[in-house]
Parts: sequence; structure tokens; C-alpha cells
Amino acid sequence: MTDQLLIRICLIVGSLLTAAYVLRRVRHAKVQIEDTVFWLLFCAAMLVLAFFPGIAYWAASLLGFQSPINFVYIVVIFLLLAKLFFLSIRVSQLDSRLRILTEQVALNQEKQEREKMDL
Amino acid sequence: MSRLLIVIPAYNEEKNIVRVVDELNRCCPQYDYVVVNDGSRDKTAALCRAHGYRLIDLPVNLGLAGAFQTGLRYAAENGYDCAMQLDADGQHRPEYIAPMLQELERGADIVIGSRFLAVKKPKTLRMLGSYIISWSIRLTTGRAICDPTSGMRMFNRTMVEEFAQNLNYGPEPDTISYLIKNGAVVKEVQVQMGERLAGHSYLTMVKSVQYMLKMAISILLIQWFRKRDTETPYPERSL
Repeated sequence: MTDQLLIRICLIVGSLLTAAYVLRRVRHAKVQIEDTVFWLLFCAAMLVLAFFPGIAYWAASLLGFQSPINFVYIVVIFLLLAKLFFLSIRVSQLDSRLRILTEQVALNQEKQEREKMDL
Repeated sequence: MSRLLIVIPAYNEEKNIVRVVDELNRCCPQYDYVVVNDGSRDKTAALCRAHGYRLIDLPVNLGLAGAFQTGLRYAAENGYDCAMQLDADGQHRPEYIAPMLQELERGADIVIGSRFLAVKKPKTLRMLGSYIISWSIRLTTGRAICDPTSGMRMFNRTMVEEFAQNLNYGPEPDTISYLIKNGAVVKEVQVQMGERLAGHSYLTMVKSVQYMLKMAISILLIQWFRKRDTETPYPERSL
């Protein structure tokens, strides 16, 4: 247990700093609240793992990992991949909205210019 | 009497919108209204144009928060003293607008049309979320809001300007809790609500659980860290 102490401290400090930074962005109204929920839950999960490493030991032996830290890596990689997947869906939606919006602006302008020419 | 703008956000409400606006016109022709079509895929916008309703037609779907903010910006730009949300599905009855406006004029910042002020909230699964949100607001602000999820809310000029220009000001209970914490006066008026006239609500079981979770996290944890900006004035664009 003691050899894992450093990594546990790193996890705790890292997740607390991340949470503090995210909340700072909320404070200055730089981010929408729904987009912070994932990161805060992520920090909370890391904190739980750091304070109760027994969970990682238990899950690692259950799933046959050599070392509990591998379990932590797998969980983090999976969560980040999932987040990446949803982000890419979101970017794609933003992309199509931007396209429709640009088309709409251009169509409106054309209509305006046509009305001006008709007068 | 103060000038009130009624904002009617509408997303795929072709079956209800005509009945709702006609009812509003018959009941309270003294108030102005505007329908905000939130990029509907049905004939909502066409019907509004055909009937000559005042319409803001968003080219893409922004969701309720975006549609409502559009309406509030319209109110702010056009010099209205207060604004309110009226749902396009017929749940909000126009006869309660007058008592809500009276309450607002007595010096409230926000007036909520509440289903459970004088009526006991039923202890059903559907109301569980409402209980959780009420309890969260009670815990964090010390104020009792009987019907925090009611969409029928009226805002005074200060609130209209604040909602119109800021991020994280969706018309949701977490914004209400944040504003109470920052000194806004929130009052409730007992109203009755009908069932939606036609069509389906977008709130499925999974979505409502998601919504409750988001609201609970937001009210209990995140709202503490927000800072209210009352210094920046609303940028006048229309003068």
C-alpha cells in the first residue's frame, strides 16, 4: 500500500486542482454548467479511487489485472474515449447547425437585395 | 400598468399553437406576445404566419433555454417592463397572467405560477423530481419554492436584462436557486395547469432522470461558486 502513496497523492492533488479550475470557469461565466458536470463527476471518481484504493485492488483481482493501477488506467482511458465520442457527435451537430445558419443568413440577404431591386 | 411581453417558445407544436395563441388573444388582448419558433420541423412557423401572429423564427433548434432567451432579448430591445414564459402546449392558462402581474408589480423580481402553493403536492413518482429540487433549493437558500419546475415564470425588467445577456441563465430551477441566493425576490402565485392539448412531451423517463440529476448537482454543488455580475449594463442596440 505504501508504494502507491505517491500516485494517490498525485491523484488527489490533480483532481482537486482540476475541479477548482472548472469551478473558476463557472464563476467567471466562461462555461455552461451542463458541460462541467462530466468533469466534476470525473474528479469525484478519481478522488474516491485515491481515498479508497481498496476498490481498485478488488476490481483488479476480480477482472484479472496484474496491478490495481492498470485498472485505474483502463477506467480513465475508457471515460476519456467515451467523452471524446460524445464530443465528436457534438462537434458534428455544431457543424451542421453552422451550415444551416450560414445558408439562412445568405438566403435572407438575397431576399433583401431582391426586394431592394424590385422597388 | 407595466408593459408585459408573453414569450411563447414553440417546438413542433402545430397541433396546439393556434389554439393557445387564439385563447390568449381572446382572454387577454391587452398584453403583447411573441411566438419563438425553435427550429420546428413541422408547420408551426407556417401556421403562425398564416394567422398573422407575431413570430420570431429561429433557423436552427436551440432548445428551450435558447428560444426563451431570444424572447427575453426581444423584450429587452423593445423596452418591455416585464416578460413571462407561456408554454405552447396549452398547459399554462392565460387567466392567471393578471394575478401574476399584480404580484410582480408589488415588488417581486420573479413570480412563479405555482401548482402547489395552496394545493398539496401529490406523492407520486412523477413528483419525486419536483420534491428533490424543492428540497435542494430549501437546503441551499432556506427559501421554500413549492413548484420549482413550473415553466410559467414572470420576470421584471432587471431580470429580463440579466437573462437576456448572460450565460448559464436558462429558465430552470437552478437559475432560480442561484438568483434567490444572490438576493432576488421570488414569489409564487397559485395557478391551475391543464394537460397538454395534443402531441407528446419530450420528457421521457430517461430524460427526466437525467434532468433531475443535472438540476440536483447544479443546485447543490455548482451554484455556490457562481458570481453574479450586476455591474455590466445591458448593451442598448435598438436606440
